[in-house]
Amino acid sequence: MRRRGFIKGALALSAIGLINPMFFGHALRAEEAIEMPVEGLVRDYLSGKEAENGSTIMQLNIPETPENGAVVPVEVTINHPMTADNYISNITILATKNKANKAISFDLTPANGMAYLYANVKLGQTQDVIILAKTNQGKIFKASKTVRVALGGCS
Amino acid sequence: MELRGIVKILDQNYKIGDTVKAKIIIIHKMDTGFIKDKESGKTIPRFYMKEITATYNDTRVGHFGLDVAMSQNPVIQFPLKVTGAGTLVVDFVNSNGEKAQKSVEITPAG
Repeated sequence: MRRRGFIKGALALSAIGLINPMFFGHALRAEEAIEMPVEGLVRDYLSGKEAENGSTIMQLNIPETPENGAVVPVEVTINHPMTADNYISNITILATKNKANKAISFDLTPANGMAYLYANVKLGQTQDVIILAKTNQGKIFKASKTVRVALGGCS
Repeated sequence: MELRGIVKILDQNYKIGDTVKAKIIIIHKMDTGFIKDKESGKTIPRFYMKEITATYNDTRVGHFGLDVAMSQNPVIQFPLKVTGAGTLVVDFVNSNGEKAQKSVEITPAG
């Protein structure tokens, strides 16, 4: 009898073990979808290409030590021609250590006249802010800046 | 959706051919879906401003995809090349699919 009990118990345990990973896996996937890790976002943006160093043409105006992480003004000016066949077509601002890292993506056209974007982002802790820019010819520029946050904005 | 927000042109006395900056201020929540309400203990669902499209005299001059790393009550500035008198129309869509529209007149001097 004792052996039967043991077998039953073992069976029950293994059944839980079978169900559990499925349940757990689902929960994990859902969380990943909502959390948006920054590596994946950058990989998607690059889509197999190499990013060029954008610090030479990008002028970032971000406070190094903002008073409040909940509102950090990020100002980007890109010195790049905005002609009909060579222009910046997208500027994206990403945080790196928030739970959700995507802040804003801006699609431009030559009708904008210059490549510029100002937006306020929230930063949960001290981290890098990544700026990605794409031209219509497929070039990608990347620049980043470390921002020290004393009082974190709720991310 | 009843949306409180402002669209304005920051520069004054601009002429045709100048590049001006337009500013969008929206009063809208940017709830991430991670935070719990202190009193009820329930998670506040994700609710945020999702898409903003700016159109100037039927030409699309900006499309913004926002996400929850933006601050509450987002402020955005973007450039715009003035090609003539007209209207800058800005359309808003939030994560619940609710839509709103704001506009500003563009009147170049001279």
